[in-house]
Amino acid sequence: MYRIVTYSSLFLVTVLLQVFLFDNLSVSIYLNPLIYVAFIVLLPVDTAPVTVLLAGLAMGVTMDFLMGAAGINTMATLLMAFLRPYILASFYSRDDLRDGGVPSPERLGHHVFLNYLIVLVAVHHAVFFSLEALSWSHIVRTVLRIVASGSVTVAAVWLLGRIFTAKFVARL
Amino acid sequence: MHKLIEFIRSIYLVVLFVVLEALAIGYYARSTYFTQARLLARSNAAAGSVHEFSAGVRRYFRLEAENRILLDRVALLEERLAQYDEAANIDRLKRYMLDLGGSKFRVMTATVVSNTINRAQNFVTINRGLRDGVTPDMALLAPGGSMLGYIVDCTDRYSVAIPLLNTSFRASGKLEGTDYFGSVYWDGVDPHSVLLGELSKYAEPKIGQRVITTGFSQFFPENVLIGWVESASMNENRTAYTVRLKLATDFARLTDIILIENRDACEVLDLQARQEDDERFRHQ
Repeated sequence: MYRIVTYSSLFLVTVLLQVFLFDNLSVSIYLNPLIYVAFIVLLPVDTAPVTVLLAGLAMGVTMDFLMGAAGINTMATLLMAFLRPYILASFYSRDDLRDGGVPSPERLGHHVFLNYLIVLVAVHHAVFFSLEALSWSHIVRTVLRIVASGSVTVAAVWLLGRIFTAKFVARL
Repeated sequence: MHKLIEFIRSIYLVVLFVVLEALAIGYYARSTYFTQARLLARSNAAAGSVHEFSAGVRRYFRLEAENRILLDRVALLEERLAQYDEAANIDRLKRYMLDLGGSKFRVMTATVVSNTINRAQNFVTINRGLRDGVTPDMALLAPGGSMLGYIVDCTDRYSVAIPLLNTSFRASGKLEGTDYFGSVYWDGVDPHSVLLGELSKYAEPKIGQRVITTGFSQFFPENVLIGWVESASMNENRTAYTVRLKLATDFARLTDIILIENRDACEVLDLQARQEDDERFRHQ
């Protein structure tokens, strides 16, 4: 039960951060970090794949509505949520997965968590920015946008994850 | 039967994913800049006030620069007014005003509530809506009087405009002092420059030359500054120039904007619609 409350607040916090902080970073065309993926990244490792997919749907639709982006957030987030169980399984043994818990550097190890995070963000940003460009003529620029925005997202999600898991420790 | 249920159980996740993804793709494929602006206008009903607050904070820090631009503009207008006063003899001006029956443009101001420059489809939200008399198709100018965009959709308190920095935006522009025109659009590369395409090969654009709006647009008044020529290149079959323009409007720091309504727009649109009807009638 208390999981629902914490994850609802995580959902809210990531949405607010994205819309009111990161969307207003009018710095460069290459910098459009989509940090709301943190919500999907930080779901407990033993979450049922269907729940992850539906969480991805909820997040994608919400972001599309707030950004006026008509579907690209949903497409990218759905694919990422669909692949998450497979990516987790490839980095992590089955028994450990069954133990559950929030994915974090402490639980998965710094290396594994970072790899897991980078792969998920890469999938999401690749879909998002290629759909936004919708042409191969700007391929170099699109790749640059994926890399630049992706790195900022990875850093932001890492930080968010630290704060989110730190809260758990304080509570227990 | 049992086997069928087992089979469905094993693949329902993939099916669900494919169905949801297909729905999203379908929606995206059918979306235009208009539906996107409408989506944003609806969400502004909820998020608008928070956007407005954060925009207010940002705006405070830009007041000084903004003030300077406005003062420059006032000085320029003062100067022009003085020229008018001197040159036009009062009698002729009076007759001119009678003929005109008031300006065909109505002007008001608004504040930018939210604005992005880092996407391919950027939109600008302003804090005036239907309640304040804003309607779709009104033109937006920067405080310095340069081209910004036009309104696409309004709610009661907010409006969403499509700016030059949206790959769906199209307008016509011409080289100042000539009659050569082309279409102005953004290629999604650099938020400080746009392209002027299909410019006649006889145009001879010079670096630094001003590019202004033509009178063809229903949205924009004539002679609004768009930008300056930065570089020009012929296309492959040497029939037209594609010119890169340095934008006059700085989209990264938009705070206050000017709204312009063309009162004749309805009439022009009516006329065009009637002409199209006529043509269709003739073809039948």
